[in-house]
Amino acid sequence: MSKINELEIKNKYTGEIIRTIPADTPETLEAKIKKTYENQHLLKEMTFFERAQLLSNFASKLRFNKNKLKELIVAEGGLPIKYSEWELNIVTNGFKFCDWYYQFLDEKPLTSIEGEQFVKIRYIPQGLAACVSPRNTPISLPLYQMGANYLVGNGAVVKPSTACPLTMLEAYSMMKDIDLPALDALDIVIAPGEWAIDQFLSSPYIKILMTITASHTAKDILVRYAKILKKSVDKSMGVAMYTQPFKQFFFECAGNDAGIVMDDVNLDQVAKWNAMASYTNSGQQCFSMKRIIVHKDIYDDYIEILIKEIEKLKYGDPTDPDVDIGPLGSRKILMMMEVMVADAKKYNVKIYTGAEKIDTGEDYGLFYKPTLVEIKPELCTDLKKAPFLWREEAFGPVRSVTKATDLKDAIRLANASNYGMRAVVYTSNLENIELFKNELEAANIYINARPMLTDITVALGGIKDSAYPPGCKYYPQELVFPKYIYDGTSLNISKIK
Amino acid sequence: MKSSVINEYKTVLAKNYTTFLSKFPEIFSDLVSGSIFDFAIYNSIKSYDEKSPVDVFNVLQNGRGIEINPGRADDADLELALSIEAVEKLIQTDTKTEYAKLLGNFYNFPDEEKGWIDFFLHKRTQTLIDMGYGRFAKTAGILEDENEI
Repeated sequence: MSKINELEIKNKYTGEIIRTIPADTPETLEAKIKKTYENQHLLKEMTFFERAQLLSNFASKLRFNKNKLKELIVAEGGLPIKYSEWELNIVTNGFKFCDWYYQFLDEKPLTSIEGEQFVKIRYIPQGLAACVSPRNTPISLPLYQMGANYLVGNGAVVKPSTACPLTMLEAYSMMKDIDLPALDALDIVIAPGEWAIDQFLSSPYIKILMTITASHTAKDILVRYAKILKKSVDKSMGVAMYTQPFKQFFFECAGNDAGIVMDDVNLDQVAKWNAMASYTNSGQQCFSMKRIIVHKDIYDDYIEILIKEIEKLKYGDPTDPDVDIGPLGSRKILMMMEVMVADAKKYNVKIYTGAEKIDTGEDYGLFYKPTLVEIKPELCTDLKKAPFLWREEAFGPVRSVTKATDLKDAIRLANASNYGMRAVVYTSNLENIELFKNELEAANIYINARPMLTDITVALGGIKDSAYPPGCKYYPQELVFPKYIYDGTSLNISKIK
Repeated sequence: MKSSVINEYKTVLAKNYTTFLSKFPEIFSDLVSGSIFDFAIYNSIKSYDEKSPVDVFNVLQNGRGIEINPGRADDADLELALSIEAVEKLIQTDTKTEYAKLLGNFYNFPDEEKGWIDFFLHKRTQTLIDMGYGRFAKTAGILEDENEI
């Protein structure tokens, strides 16, 4: 296979080359997979709490070097400097207190009808994980993937986006600096997804493929896996027997989160949070509040306030501490925003603000102004006929807003989606809160919550096309399998001796 | 309360810090009785990596207030590590709010020259949460993320 030998990593705002780094070839990738596989036993030689303590210490190393990491996040990711703090806090807080995850892995005794406890459910690391992470988070997601595997005792090869691998490489180099034990069970892969994923799928050493990607890309991975399985068929015994073993797939995909604003809230406060929840990181967040649903009685007032909040957002040089909106991650995202807005215009929508681009003509310094588009509620229910902006994830700073007649209508509109990552509600009516909790179709429900929380309890995951397997989840929980152990020794030892 | 073998302050700075803390016992009011942890003062991040502080004292929440003693506690729940520069600035603050804000700053924006703090957990996070350390961290200005963006 002919593959590139090195990658130029560019500053997303200025276009300057930050660094040129060597890229993996199929041969070096294979060697990394084999090395991490062979060194996994080093992790198993430590207890969960020893690994947790090591990660907790590493969190301090990250924090003491946060300025260096933030500079890289801003340069290669285009994230505004003030947002880079949040991006880092996710992992520094998560790692500092990572033994908190033990509650999901703690061995559970089961009591039988007779009151005996012969059965235990023990949680076992699944094995080597290949992790693929997206371009919008240069460190939080790839490092969280790596740390979660380390914590539970799985080896891991992590492939950050080739658009922004430097922060993750720097973090890995910090692991080396502190001589993190069992580091040979972890490695970083610098390679484009197109062939690296096929290699992960084909490798007998890889037990888990965890990817954070668009839902359609995740489905494409399954199709590619099916092709690999098909090639492995052995028909020598007269029936088709697939020689490739099962792999565990763990997909974190797109979100098209609904955010409901009811008629009983402080509009100024909610609009402020709404702007942050919808446009942080230029809207390039899977869990961003993308479909805003506002009660009809406050609609006009709320829109007026929300527009003011959106127009306060400053875009430009991401190193400027006052900048809220940095450059887009790629030209493809800019084009997608244009396509979504152009498609929406065919439906006679109202564009409240934005819908303008700043195009340098290059692959850097690209902006799309924070945009708010009103879509009439009658266009939102039948997804086959709904505007592209409503039915698919807008992974950029374009958001839709629509009007709900009442609580049930708001829930109906929120659920009119193929995605179900998060749903957000703002209401002060305590009687309605349970209804929202029960009826909203999403894996994570946020009621009256401040956006962008970094609390360790914050879960990932989704339902529908937002994640597979479905449900809210914590990475460590997904990287182990439960083992049933029945031990009848005390009951039967005298009989079998 | 048990204290470690070292039972004298090695530095004036540590002594001054204990005097300062004793003015604000309410900082520790979220901790359950029996909570005990070390305050360790370091002259560099390197000395922190090597676990070689210039001075250490421990604070016990005894249910009625706090007891401060020199040296490490025998079974500390955690260690709050502070640079000399951080302690010098912290003891200049006039109010609990000012102290908490500065302490949070040293945690969130650690700087080798301007000052830093960190903490090293000796017990499980869940145990520490149950003992009130999460609320303590909020009160003390660490883990406050209200204005992080």
